[in-house]
Amino acid sequence: MPTVEYKGKVFEVDEDGFLQAGLDAWCQEWVEYVKEQEGIQELTEEHWKVINILQDYYKKNGVAPMVRILSKLTGFPLKKIYELFPSGPGKGACKMAGLPKPTGCV
Amino acid sequence: MADEKVIEKLKELWTKYEEIDGKFDEEMDPVFKEPYYPGVAEKLFNPDKPMENRITDIGPPYFRQFLPPIIKKNYGKWVSHEIIQPGVLKYESETGDVIYVVRCGTPRLETTDYIREICDIADKYCDGYVRWTTRNNIEFHVDSEEKLKALIEDLKNRKHPNGSYKFPIGGTGASVSNIVHTQGWIHCHTPAIDASGVVKSIMDELFEYFGSHKLPAKTRLALACCLNMCGAVHCSDIAIVGIHRKPPMVEDDRIQHVCEIPLAIAACPLGAIKPATVEIDGQKKKTVRVNAERCMFCGNCYTMCPAMPIADGEGDGIAIVVGGKVTNRISPPKFSRVVIPFIPNEPPRWPTAVKWIKHILEVYSQHANKYERVGDWIERIGWEKFFELTDIPFTEKSIDDYRLAYTTYRTSTHFKFTKHIEIK
Repeated sequence: MPTVEYKGKVFEVDEDGFLQAGLDAWCQEWVEYVKEQEGIQELTEEHWKVINILQDYYKKNGVAPMVRILSKLTGFPLKKIYELFPSGPGKGACKMAGLPKPTGCV
Repeated sequence: MADEKVIEKLKELWTKYEEIDGKFDEEMDPVFKEPYYPGVAEKLFNPDKPMENRITDIGPPYFRQFLPPIIKKNYGKWVSHEIIQPGVLKYESETGDVIYVVRCGTPRLETTDYIREICDIADKYCDGYVRWTTRNNIEFHVDSEEKLKALIEDLKNRKHPNGSYKFPIGGTGASVSNIVHTQGWIHCHTPAIDASGVVKSIMDELFEYFGSHKLPAKTRLALACCLNMCGAVHCSDIAIVGIHRKPPMVEDDRIQHVCEIPLAIAACPLGAIKPATVEIDGQKKKTVRVNAERCMFCGNCYTMCPAMPIADGEGDGIAIVVGGKVTNRISPPKFSRVVIPFIPNEPPRWPTAVKWIKHILEVYSQHANKYERVGDWIERIGWEKFFELTDIPFTEKSIDDYRLAYTTYRTSTHFKFTKHIEIK
């Protein structure tokens, strides 16, 4: 498995850059690292709201929320989520939140 | 043109495009005005500011701008067509215009060199216009018989270095046209069989049917390398599906981190997966257990969860289904049904599978009436007769046992005695 090093921390990631150990390995540095990768200028309250809701939902249900649920819980329409995370809720927000890589016919 | 100039020009065109709000204007569509300039994307992309200069939601280019002028002129005015020989069609318009179409087989997976060769041919004979069909054949359009003759002669002589035709002409009328197929071992992670390899083996064997009209009706072949059935397997006359025969492995040590476990559980059509907890190195880990008795090896759980691999060299193979169609001609559309539950993978030529497909096609071709598709023919003679005529051994695997299975059983005393029934 490839690893990335960022600000003294080492993360085990897969070929798409998702955390291999999931939320167990998630930390502040990971968020910073993904932020750079995704070309996000600055992490705002709104970014954190999405990340926190994703993580809470994942801890409670064992799955990432459906896009409609994420919109409903955050109050952000999909367009806004794309403005916050240019790669979208799956590749962008879930990666930053330390959730498993989305699967299925994507 | 200098790079900056090209970029400026493109930006200007895109701005105009946005102004007209997607309403089509041939003069303004940059794709039409400006040939693709490979350096531009790289020049415009700045990884630190990915949203800068980003062009999005422009959709495909408008198809009308790629129509040959004669087709554009006669759009919606066609009166009749005829197939003048296998692979060659002639269309007549109410304006009196005539156009000839030459259809050629392709392997679907193509290199850019091959596409450039197609473009060269199109430039030479068709004023640069060419199209692909929904079965991934190529069609060249010409407007005169002289051009048609020259084009056919040219296409016939083009071969790959090891002998196979680059542009075999055919695929029209009551023929076996191209095989709609999928990724296989070329690119996908869930296949049970290869796609391109099997398709090449079958088309080699059925090549005479591609360039001729010998069959009672058109016969559609399709292949899908797993039960996802991407493509047309469920509705084709004869189709090949990759299947597994063993339940998935569960990688207990990593499933918790790389999978959303409820998704894997919900992915199972038979409810064979349940959550479980295991202890690894003194640590409790969440995982799942598969009830092998209930599993029918569909592989859906692996699609949802990378820690449940299912592929197996010896277990995987081919199932053959027959009798599907999508047209409404004479009879309604039909699903295809399993007749051969398993044939092992035999790369690189899959001789057993190819033999059976050719055999089914030949028996159909001998016995069916004109215009009868494979499914129509089987429905007329009865499935028991189909198994008798083709000598395919009938197994319990062909008997439906999934939810609505009852409707597929015989609730009637109407049947024919066949050699499958022993009378004592």
